[in-house]
Amino acid sequence: MWADAIRAEAFRLSKSRTTWFWSVFFAPILMLIMGAISSFVIDANATKLAADPEAPPELTQMMAAAPLDLGQAMVANAGNLSNALVLLFILIGAATVYAGDYRWETWRLISARNTRPNQLLGKLAVVTGLSLVAMLVMLISGTLSDLVQAAVFERSLAFTLDAGDVGQFFLLAGLSLLRILQFTMMALLAAVMTRSLMVALFVPLVLGIAQFFLPMQVLPPMGFMPDSWLSILINPGGAIDALKDLVRGGEAAAAVADHVPVRAWISIVLWTVLPAAGAIAWFNRQDLSKE
Amino acid sequence: MSAVIETRNLTKTYGTVRALDGLSLTIPKGGVYGVLGPNGAGKSTLFRILLGLIGPTEGEASVMGGAIRDPRAMRRMGSMIETPRYPPYMTARQVLTWLSLAHGLTSDTARTDRWLERVGLTDAADRRVRGFSVGMLQRLGVAAALITEPELIILDEPTSGMDPPGIQEMRALIRSLAHDDGLTVVLASHQLLEVQRVCDRVAIMNKGKLVREGTVSELTTTGERLRLSVSPLDKATALLGDRGTVDGTALLASVPRAEGPALIRALVEQGIDIDEARWVGTDLESVFFTETGSIQTPEHDHVG
Repeated sequence: MWADAIRAEAFRLSKSRTTWFWSVFFAPILMLIMGAISSFVIDANATKLAADPEAPPELTQMMAAAPLDLGQAMVANAGNLSNALVLLFILIGAATVYAGDYRWETWRLISARNTRPNQLLGKLAVVTGLSLVAMLVMLISGTLSDLVQAAVFERSLAFTLDAGDVGQFFLLAGLSLLRILQFTMMALLAAVMTRSLMVALFVPLVLGIAQFFLPMQVLPPMGFMPDSWLSILINPGGAIDALKDLVRGGEAAAAVADHVPVRAWISIVLWTVLPAAGAIAWFNRQDLSKE
Repeated sequence: MSAVIETRNLTKTYGTVRALDGLSLTIPKGGVYGVLGPNGAGKSTLFRILLGLIGPTEGEASVMGGAIRDPRAMRRMGSMIETPRYPPYMTARQVLTWLSLAHGLTSDTARTDRWLERVGLTDAADRRVRGFSVGMLQRLGVAAALITEPELIILDEPTSGMDPPGIQEMRALIRSLAHDDGLTVVLASHQLLEVQRVCDRVAIMNKGKLVREGTVSELTTTGERLRLSVSPLDKATALLGDRGTVDGTALLASVPRAEGPALIRALVEQGIDIDEARWVGTDLESVFFTETGSIQTPEHDHVG
């Protein structure tokens, strides 16, 4: 049963402290430390920055005396929960869950008692849970970072959050989760096809970098603009960013062309469902007896 | 006698290699069943098909009355294929808990502790498996095969990598599982002496085919010979004719056991002195080498 596969996989993951540290805690801790350091550095150079007409507006805003609204900051952070650093480190956990059994040959023990699709879907469910926990920790880290910033710049705190903000928070968080799952889905396919942890780690990374740069650097000279079919289709990360802009509203949403959302959803569904279906189909007919 | 495993015309090919070649085998319920064969005989392929890890090219196989990969049948079977490897960060107890959950059982400490004790790993229950020796991993593998309390367990080389005391303990455990707990144990081993000591029935495979099958005593009593230290040798040889073969200073007489006393009487009546007479020749090793065409070792004394 699927539930058995989930329980077993979750139990095993719960015992792997290394996986937890790298995939869940490392990125938030690093971002918290970096955020605190940058706040102190900016504060030390506050006078010089205030006098600089070319200083980025984000810095000026950071140093403003206005209250820091933690509710709004949380909504903004929800849209940033699938940033490159988070993706990179969650990928470690996902690859370990997806490719770990090949390292330890445990398929021989567990595959006799449950269907193979159930076992793979169990792993998928556990990676989804791991991603949710990582997002929560990242959100807490973001809030702590905001508190450090408020303390450094002696800003007062506020908390405003209406129903619209709550809806926006969950939509942005949901899109961030979707981005993480879509990104790690290639690790699932690579793990099943190659039985290698390293390949499961590097295929999504290389592909992700290619997907990021192709629509910006390679395709425009060939006549494919960033909102063209091809550009959106090969870049699911960009597609999710466009949908996040729509959720944020305002100027960001206005910049998204009308035809983009449909193309974006098609791109996301293709890059999420096809690798998963391919992995299950491949795994179902795989000879698990070989090293 | 009902069967726990049945294969009919089971064939598995890898490219041009026929790992299994029309294997038809029935393994009865109860006792310890040994599967013997040289490297490449098809033992591991057979086990992997039975466990659903690979599919056959042709033919059929059933386990516990169900088709291969039938979850209901698979739930009644445990297995250990070669030296198992587990997530190194887990303790022995956690490995068994994890596998219990994977098999749809609850996390039951009493059950895991019982099997850890049974395989002699109680003291190592909370040690991480990354520090386990091969022998300890084998024991844990057997406990993992038993954690679901199956009716049938398949063990591939269960004593591989174990020290002599460990081998003895494992042998005792296997026999106890079969004869005290009522399990059917199917094992493959290269240790022919071990198979002879542990198994009740044996199948000998070669090049993907079944070449001999039967109880250990059936296999080892067929073809045994009476070794006679006699004087004068040439007179005794002439008396036996084509039933006798000279083996150094002794004579090997190919006669059924029932005719042994009459032969000895006849030799004595002809004035031939007999220093020693004993039945020799067919331990399982001799049968194995004869049937598989492997390199023959010197004849061994047969106990019994």
